Amino acid sequence: MDRPSNHSAVELKQTFPRATGETAVVRAEHLSKCFGDLRAVDDLTFSLKRGTVTGFLGPNGAGKTTTLRMLLHLVEPSAGRALVFDRRYQDLERPAAQVGAVLEAADFHPGRSGRDHLFSLALALGRGTQGGHWFRERERAAAKRVDAVLDLVELRSAARRRVGGYSLGMRQRLGLAAALLGDPALLILDEPANGLDPEGVRWLRDFLRGFAADGKTVLVSSHVLAEVAQTVDDVIIINQGRLVTISPLAELTERRTGAVRVRARGADKLQAKLEIEGLQVTLLDGGELLVEGAPSARVGEIAYQAGIPLDELVSESSSLEDIFLELTAKEPS
Amino acid sequence: MTDQLLAELRKMRSTRTNLGLLAGMIALILLTVLLNGFVPNADELMTHDNQHALLSAGTSAALFAALIGVMAITSEFRHGTIRPTFVVTPQRTRVIGAKVIASLMMGALFGLAAIGLSLGVGYAILTVRDIPLELGTGHVLWLVVGTPAMTAAWAALGVGLGAVVRNQVFAVIGLIVWAMVIDNLLRGLLPSIGGYTPVGASAALVADPADYVLAAAAGGLLLLGYLVALVAAGAILVARRDVT
Repeated sequence: MDRPSNHSAVELKQTFPRATGETAVVRAEHLSKCFGDLRAVDDLTFSLKRGTVTGFLGPNGAGKTTTLRMLLHLVEPSAGRALVFDRRYQDLERPAAQVGAVLEAADFHPGRSGRDHLFSLALALGRGTQGGHWFRERERAAAKRVDAVLDLVELRSAARRRVGGYSLGMRQRLGLAAALLGDPALLILDEPANGLDPEGVRWLRDFLRGFAADGKTVLVSSHVLAEVAQTVDDVIIINQGRLVTISPLAELTERRTGAVRVRARGADKLQAKLEIEGLQVTLLDGGELLVEGAPSARVGEIAYQAGIPLDELVSESSSLEDIFLELTAKEPS
Repeated sequence: MTDQLLAELRKMRSTRTNLGLLAGMIALILLTVLLNGFVPNADELMTHDNQHALLSAGTSAALFAALIGVMAITSEFRHGTIRPTFVVTPQRTRVIGAKVIASLMMGALFGLAAIGLSLGVGYAILTVRDIPLELGTGHVLWLVVGTPAMTAAWAALGVGLGAVVRNQVFAVIGLIVWAMVIDNLLRGLLPSIGGYTPVGASAALVADPADYVLAAAAGGLLLLGYLVALVAAGAILVARRDVT
């Protein structure tokens, strides 16, 4: 089954040097999808770099799930292209050996054991270079991979139980185990933190960071920025099917347009001092000062140097979530 | 496609669905054999037609075989496992093909078990009641070979039906209503086309003595035609429709 495409896929991966970091692991080009009159995804263009964790963010109904499914050839684009490792997903040789996906928290037959779920997927994935021609060898190679991913997600002890009795966190890890069966270089996860307890969220975060540290790539969607803020390097924000922004998370953080609210004895004296420092100060009704253009630490420092005791110093800076909500607010139409 | 076939066989073995279907099939066949074997008096059971009814009770396995195929595809849509299945094998036709082959195998096994059961228990009843066997060796041979062939075909038909309908409940109800009601009505009310319905065509494979039944080869080809048409329709629809 050595198709020519197989060779070129391997070559592409090897000859595009890692050093440049410019290979697009995922590339969406003017991607659109209509369901009837609804434009679920509208002319979306973005790409992912190797070795990064990218948050794919937007409110519910923004088109995240549809986009991810177009990348995996589950949903056919109405226009544009969705490429993974520079190919359409269905054109990849053994795609699950390159891409792992966790799409829903509950894509299991409740009456099947976790191990059998993985086993059937491992058999379908095929032997690759492992295992021989005989059924017995194929089964043995599959069993080996299944045990390896079960250990990876720490689910081995429950593997022979039926999935119907699994907790949400166990199902989430089983889904992740299935995605890892082919040892992929790209993970695509759709709202993986939904319904997880804090411990599960932290486990997932550590896992994804470790995965990316190995030079692999993660695309993880969420409708809550805070959920992935500690995990992602870059963010792609979409709303109503359209791209809102694509940037490193750090740049998004710098957009914080903060203000500091101060209550002090001798507010007018402090106001004069702050204005000398070039800060914009507004006197509020209750005698408090609203200071813009400096973090709270700077305001406190100025007050200290002037010998003015502060009663209250509150950072009013908008949170990351505020920025997110602002960016994804519905445009007035 | 070997990889996909092994995967599909694993799926079939790893839930209780097919065990349940097997148990239901055995119960129904035993009930039919016992009724057909003990309700008629000895004279009635001497007739060729009544002995066929007794010994061919295993052919009712066709409905259970069809359910194997229906469940093989609709349970994936119902539980969402179709997503990981298609992510691993984006060539959806290959997945449907593997399900058809796995269902053919499982259907044939069900048919063998069923006809073995009805022949064995039916013959035992005849022996106990001291009634001579009126069916010729050729007739019995048709039952032994024809039943697994027929049940295999129905299992594959089930995959096609399930792929077209996708919804598990609708597919199961549709299958039962067709096989138990509509097909029966057609054969009863319009005997001239009775041999051409899916159930009528299947009867040709098991030497059914009813008047309208076609020759074995004609019936077999017709059943194959139904199978190919339904599976092709299912494969095309599954390949074209979005998996949401």
